[in-house]
Amino acid sequence: MATHITFVKKILSDGNPCAKCADVEARLVDGGYLARIDETLIADERDNESPGMVLAHRLEVERAPFFVVRTPREDSTDTGTEDGSDEETVYTVFFKFLREVLEAPTSKSAEAAEILRDNPELDLL
Amino acid sequence: MSAQPPLKSTLDTGAENGQSVEQPLRIDRSPQQVLEEALESFPADRIAISFSGAEDVVLIDMAVQLGFKPRVFCLDTGRLHPETYQFLDKIRRHYDLQLEVLSPDGEAVSELVREKGLFSFYEDGHNECCSVRKIAPLRSHLSNLDAWITGQREDQSPTRSDLPHDQVDKAFSSEANTLMKFNPLARWSSAQVWAYIRREGVPYNVLHDRGFVSIGCEPCTRAIGPGEHERAGRWWWEEATQKECGLHAQNVVPISE
Repeated sequence: MATHITFVKKILSDGNPCAKCADVEARLVDGGYLARIDETLIADERDNESPGMVLAHRLEVERAPFFVVRTPREDSTDTGTEDGSDEETVYTVFFKFLREVLEAPTSKSAEAAEILRDNPELDLL
Repeated sequence: MSAQPPLKSTLDTGAENGQSVEQPLRIDRSPQQVLEEALESFPADRIAISFSGAEDVVLIDMAVQLGFKPRVFCLDTGRLHPETYQFLDKIRRHYDLQLEVLSPDGEAVSELVREKGLFSFYEDGHNECCSVRKIAPLRSHLSNLDAWITGQREDQSPTRSDLPHDQVDKAFSSEANTLMKFNPLARWSSAQVWAYIRREGVPYNVLHDRGFVSIGCEPCTRAIGPGEHERAGRWWWEEATQKECGLHAQNVVPISE
């Protein structure tokens, strides 16, 4: 069975889309990688039961966007995840996901930009 | 060569993304205690102070007063005020430092300027320019260190609340290298920093006398008025929002009447 990739993007509590999620999605489209994403879920901050929020809660992820890469265990024929039959890897850093999962080239500038977005306190250095 | 990290005052929650998420235990230690512990815990060539050319000069003064001759680096974005360059050199001579001045990658800067001009940050935000001119060279430099020391303080911005004195720096650690980050001034206020500067006669950037509180690149820094938060002196044209990546579940439990 092939690897299954889930992309979780966020809707803010005011109903607007998360800017970084939109940026990540645009980069997936521009790079021609969107077809590699098997499933896109919405984490709506207004709805704790939205699929993305449920998944984030189950995997204890506190940020969005994020990606979940599900890989079947070698000794398993089960396609489920909740029962623990598959391995799930969470990526909250986009360039790491690009590099390690999609095996896409990343630029130092793009990686630096993501580091700053995720750690905004660095801009005062 | 790596040294053992010092005793930590934080609990690492183990999150694997690029953000530091330690939960501070709020053990009060003086900046000098944190600084001394940091500088004693790593070989001198594997730990360095990051100096911005502003009031974080107190870290250099404290380290020297403690008897260390620390490695010090600063990020020369190419857009600093002339006064800041003069101050950097003044500090180099005053403390007899071999100040390491880090420059951005020339080709990356050229590409940015070629595509977007010299003032793109006024139109689409400072992230891209800061990434090229600050974060990329910083990341490259830190890849050769085991630890670094910053002048970051909790009171500088909302995103720095609960800033620990020391932490594993997940933003810049790699699989091959765990980087420690020390923030000796985390609990100090701006007033405490300035009291130290005055008490000890520490040289400071003359821009501070003209109302500049937080000092960065010339196009992105301005003087502020009394009562304004120092963050108001940086990237004032941008909204303070749009930076939040956390997932905040709404409290949907109705309040009983």
